[in-house]
This record gives sequence, C-alpha cells and structure tokens, in this order.
Amino acid sequence: MPRLPTVGGVELLDLARLQFALTTGVHWLFVILTLGLVPIVAVMHTSAVRARDPDTRAARERMTRFWGQLYVINYALGIATGLVMEFQFGLNWSGLSKFTGNVFGAPLALETLIAFFAESTFLGMWIFGWGRLRPWLHASMIWLVTLTAYASAYWVLVANGFMQAPTGHVIRDGVAYLTDFAALLTNPSALVALGHVIAAALLTGGLFVAGISAHHLLRGRGEFRSPLRKGVLVAAVASLAVYVVGALQYPLLATTQPMKLGMLSGGAGVARAQRAMEAAHGPGDYIPPHWAVWGQYVMLWLGYVLGLIALFAVIIAFRDGLARRRSVAVLVTLLAALPAGEFAGGIAFGEAGPHRLPIYAALALLMGAALIHGGRLTRPLHRVLMVAIPLPFLASVGGWVLRETGRQPWIVYGELTTAQALSPGVGYGAMLTSLLSFALVLGALAVTDWTLIIRYARRGPHAAHLGQPAETRPTF
Amino acid sequence: MDILWLAILGFLLTGSFILGGYDYGVQLALPFTTREESSRRQALAALGPFFFGNEVWLIGAAGVLFGAFPFLEGTLLSGAYPLIVALLLGLVAGKSAVQLRGRTGGAAGRRVWDVLLTAGGLIPAMALGMLIGLLLTGVPLRGGHSFTLSAGEVLHPFVLLCGLTTVLLFAAHGGAFLALRAVGQVAARGAAFARRAAAWAALAAVVTAAAGLTLGIRPINAVPINAAPAVVAAIALPVLLTGARAALAAARPGLAFAATSAAAGLPVVSTGLANYPYLLVSSVTPGAGLTLAESAADGATLQMLTGFGVVIVPVILGYQFFLWWAFRGRVARPDYF
Repeated sequence: MPRLPTVGGVELLDLARLQFALTTGVHWLFVILTLGLVPIVAVMHTSAVRARDPDTRAARERMTRFWGQLYVINYALGIATGLVMEFQFGLNWSGLSKFTGNVFGAPLALETLIAFFAESTFLGMWIFGWGRLRPWLHASMIWLVTLTAYASAYWVLVANGFMQAPTGHVIRDGVAYLTDFAALLTNPSALVALGHVIAAALLTGGLFVAGISAHHLLRGRGEFRSPLRKGVLVAAVASLAVYVVGALQYPLLATTQPMKLGMLSGGAGVARAQRAMEAAHGPGDYIPPHWAVWGQYVMLWLGYVLGLIALFAVIIAFRDGLARRRSVAVLVTLLAALPAGEFAGGIAFGEAGPHRLPIYAALALLMGAALIHGGRLTRPLHRVLMVAIPLPFLASVGGWVLRETGRQPWIVYGELTTAQALSPGVGYGAMLTSLLSFALVLGALAVTDWTLIIRYARRGPHAAHLGQPAETRPTF
Repeated sequence: MDILWLAILGFLLTGSFILGGYDYGVQLALPFTTREESSRRQALAALGPFFFGNEVWLIGAAGVLFGAFPFLEGTLLSGAYPLIVALLLGLVAGKSAVQLRGRTGGAAGRRVWDVLLTAGGLIPAMALGMLIGLLLTGVPLRGGHSFTLSAGEVLHPFVLLCGLTTVLLFAAHGGAFLALRAVGQVAARGAAFARRAAAWAALAAVVTAAAGLTLGIRPINAVPINAAPAVVAAIALPVLLTGARAALAAARPGLAFAATSAAAGLPVVSTGLANYPYLLVSSVTPGAGLTLAESAADGATLQMLTGFGVVIVPVILGYQFFLWWAFRGRVARPDYF
C-alpha cells in the first residue's frame, strides 16, 4: 500500500475522516430532531384541523405554528448540511464509487428521488400553505413531509447497512456488481439500525417538546400542559424501543462484525478477530481505535438516565388521571417499573441483569411514591426535563461513534478500507482547506440555528411567524 | 438504458439550472432591487414556496450521478474539488440565509444574512458556470480514474468567462422572476435589473463564444467538440437574452421569464450534446476521457433503477407542477421568509 501524505503525524486519511465525521455529525444533529419532531407537529396539526369549536381550533393551530416553526428553523440546517453530505462521497471517497458504485450509489440515488425531493417540496407547500391551501390538504402536506423524512432515513440506512455488512452483490475484477437488490433492502444491519434510529429520534423529539413545555409551565403558561404530556409519553415509549431494538444489534454483530463485539466485551475476542482478519485479508492492523468503546458508554448511560426520566415524567405528568382510577394506577406503576428497573440496573452495573428483583421492587416503590407526592415533584421534574433536552443528541452521537469508528479500518466491511477509498487526486492542502472551511461555516451556522431555536422556543407561541399573514382565502 | 439515465440526469441538471438559477438570481438581485426591508421581504416571499422545491433538483441530479453514473461521480467531484467545495459552501450559506434571515430581529444581524444571501447566489452561479466551462475545455485525465486541476486550469480565461456569463444569466433570470411574481416597485426594479443583466449576459455570452474559438478550448490532440450544439448555444443565448429584454420593455414578464428560463437551461443541454459520447473529455490524452458507457453503472443496476425511475420521475413532475399551480400568481406582501 502506498504511503499517504502526512503532516505532523496527521495523515491525509485522518483529515478526510474528520471531515466526514464533522459534516455527517452536524447533519445528524439536525436530522434526529427533524425525525423526532415532525410526527408530533403532524399530529398537532391534524388535531387542530379536526377541532369543530373555533376556539379549540385556534388554540391548537397556535400550538402547531409554534412547534412547526421550531421544526422549520431546525430543518434549515438539516437541508443545508444534507446537501454537503450528498457530495462528500464523491469529493473525498471516490474509491468508494469506483469499487461499489454499481451497488452503493443506487440507494442514495433513490433516497434523493423518492424521499428528499418530495420532503423538501411538500415542506415548502406546508410553510407557505397557511390560508392558501384548504385545511385538510394543508395538514396532509406535513404528513407527506413526515412520511418522506422517514423514507429518507430508510434509504440512507440501506446505504449505511451495506457499508456495515455488505450483501446482495458479487465482486468481479475488483468491482462490485449488484445481484440481489432485495437483500440490500432487507439487510438486517440496515433495518435494525433504522428501528433504533427512529426510536432514538422520537425520544429526542419527545424530550425536546417536553423540555420546552416545562420551561413555559414553570412560568405559568397552562396551554403547555398538553404538549408536555404528549412529549413525555412519546419519550417514554420511545425509550423502551431504543433499548429493545438497540439490544438486537449485538447478536447481529457476532456474524457481521465480530471485531466490534470483541472490543465491547473485552477478553480474547479482539485477538481472535484480528487473526481471522489477517487470515482473510493479509497482514495488517484491523483493530479499531479503542476510544470507539466510549461512544457506547456515553450512549448507554445517557440512554438509561433519559429512559428513567421519561418514565417518571409520565407518572408525574399523568398523575391526576391516574389518581382517579386506583387499579389502573397500580397497574401502570408496576408495569412502568419493569423498564425503569432495567434502566436503573444499567446505570448501577453497566448492564441490566444483576439483582433484578430488588431493583424492580425499589423502582416500583419509588414510582408509587412519585404518584402520591407528584404535586411536590412537578417543579423539580420540569427543571430536569429542561436540562435533559440536549442529552439525547449527545447519546446518539455516542452511538454513531461506536457504529462508525468501531468498524475501522473498513469503509465497506471486509471489502474496502477507508485508505483504499480515499480520492487519489486530492492533496493535503486542498483537504485541510475544505475541512477548515466546512468546520467554520457549518459550525457557525449550526450555533446560529440552535440560538434561534432557543430564542423562539422561549418566546412562546405569540411570537411564531409561521403562517402569520393568513389573510388570503384558500384557493383550493 | 444508459441513454435514458443520461436523459434523466440532463433533465434534473437542466431543471436545477432553471429553477435553482432564479433562486440564485433573486439572491443576486436583492441588493440592487430592494432597499427597504419591506420590499426585501416581498422579494423573498416571491421565492417563498418554490425555494424548497427548487433546491432539490441539484441534489436529485447528484443522486442520479451517484446511482447511475458512479464511475463519473467520484472522478468528477474529486477532480473538480475546489469548484465543488466552493459550490457547497456557497449553497450552504445561501440556503441558510434565505431560510433564517426572517427570524433575525436586529438590523445588524439582517445585514450579515444579506451578505451571505448574496454570496450564496453569486458563488454557486459562478461555480456552476465554471464547471460548465471545465466540462467544455476538458480535464487532465490520463487514462486513470482521477485528475487534479492546476490553478491555471481552474482559472483559465474561458472557464472564468463561462462562470461570469452564468452569473449574469442567472441574475437576468432572477430579475425576470421578480418582474413576473412581485408587485409594484419590487417588480419594476426587478424588470429594470433583468434588462441590464440580460444585456451584459448577452455580451458575455458572445465574448465567451469568441474566446472559445480563439483560445482553442480543446487542445489539438484532444477530442473535437460537436460543433452544432455549441454553435446553436452561442447563437441562441444572446438571441434569447435580447428577446427577454424586449419582452420586459413591452411589459410581458411571462414571456421574458420563459426566455430567460430557456437561456438558463441551455448551457446544460448544449454542453452535454457538445461532449457526447463523452461525459468527461480529456484535455491531455485523446480518448482518455470517460464515455457514457464507461461512466454508467452496470446493466443490472440501471435496470433496477429504471423500475423505480419510470414511477418516480412522473410523480416528481406531478407534485412539482402542483406546487407551481397552487402558488401561482403575484405576491404582494411579506411572508415567512
């Protein structure tokens, strides 16, 4: 293998990888909120359109415009950074298209044509459709945006799943040829990750809505009681799904990436995987950097904490309704304590498992206490929910670090290394310049965008610009 | 099958030049056509709902490039590195500025967005035009699958002239769009701006064509250019732009916009035809360029993509037409942007 250029120990390859990590990472932070928030906005909009009573309808529409505007501000950077992603492979990783172009490009092409195209077009119609499109047609636009946003996630994960566990192709003379597209579309490494990612996004969106609602409830704005309940309920259900689907990925790794599994479980797994890699691909260092494991620690620990917060929040937020039906309250407490026990065990021991029964009993008692003393816990809960808003973002980045760094040195697992995929014609200076430019521009815009989200979140519904000049009559 | 996908790629790229072209054009025209905040907001509201639908054409083209022409994609994007990076930075700044400007209350903050907004029109227009110029001059491919541009090749007078012509062309196109969709002063200033820009663009197109002839944009040993599409473009561009000027003078903004649309899409079509059957011409070794067959994905992949494509492309056209129809008419007051 030819030596790659290096300056001060930092190789060209490192710069290219850092650029990809940075641009995808920033993109992801907006995508996860897009995916988590858009279904909640769509539900709100639908409930507004359904309302018969004009006052109810106006109140719900006000909420839709408030959350919708936060979603739209977030989306601005989502699409801008998505544009950069579309070109990253071609810019810095041209070896990838040369080797797997027949296979890997197709899902990305279909993502743009099926999903991205429609998502953006329908979003434009939704933003500017207030007072212009008939209410039902208008509300269906945000559902189409939701649908296509999730379709987009699917296609991107089909592409990513191929990189994690390549399937559905044969290699002839150093070029991959597509043989079984269905295998690509049903790749377990794509589907399980999709489930995990969607659940994580909903957890993020739910906690985002709950945390901002908590901010307003602390200032006595009662109209945020309903969004807070929606948010914590979505977050609680999603936290279970994140946990269950996330766990499904480990058995998958045993067949697809034993090296990663060996790294996570310690012991002789890494040495065994290294020997197997050497036997299959010749001598070399096939061990990913160990810090990838920290991605998992951050993800798991935050995931457990957020799950616990969400479950307790549901008990406290719904305690009025639960208090009226005692048997239901007992049942809910006993059921909610099950996952809560798992999460608490995870926090205490790093894995759920030891001392299950006593932990479960303790959590059931704690939840019962929360139910009874909920009134006194409401304000502290609201503060916790506000603080929790950024944590799911951090957890998800940890998950991606594990998934992506943990499969180095491969770009397509077992078939093409990142070093082989690096664009041969790009020099050190060009790579460094583009890295710094993207870092500066995307970084500044991302911080600006988050500042705007925070500003409009704090101002509340009266300051929402979305759909304001609705004086014209619907044209159809 | 590869011809079909080349047509789809050409269609999406042409669409992105026409639709994205007036986005960039309006962004470019903003400092010249609107002084007060209210008229600036009206101009952005004119872009309004179309802005989101317009920007995806380029992304769609990039997707098709990757899916159907993977062996061109990596070569072209990594080879034209400085232009692609500039294009992306310009797009990111411009897209964010258009969407977020209206959320900023202070005048100082808005001034920063205004700079990004105009730069976000200028830089992508220049970069796309220079890419066209580069495709016409050819790139230093020597038989492998990668090339690196020297500063002299990027800043070649012909390439720069192509960039300049595209900037002026998109500016005229954006001005014509404002004349068609805005009202009152914004529309009038848009028309005046479009007339000036169209005159300069027509002149630039003539100078660019002359430079192409005199500088010999394809070195002697390289593949000859298909003369007919190049000649047609060289004649049609000034004619269309002059026609747009006349239509604006006659207060026919719809006609003018049709003419600037045709002019904006023309470079893509004529460049594609001028290079055919090459998608990427080598400027150093005859025959070392990438032909359609060498660029396209394997038959099995294209066949699979075609199964999706015959459904998706009409659907895309359907909802895009719906967008244009549902939001037709003039815009009088500021909206979300």
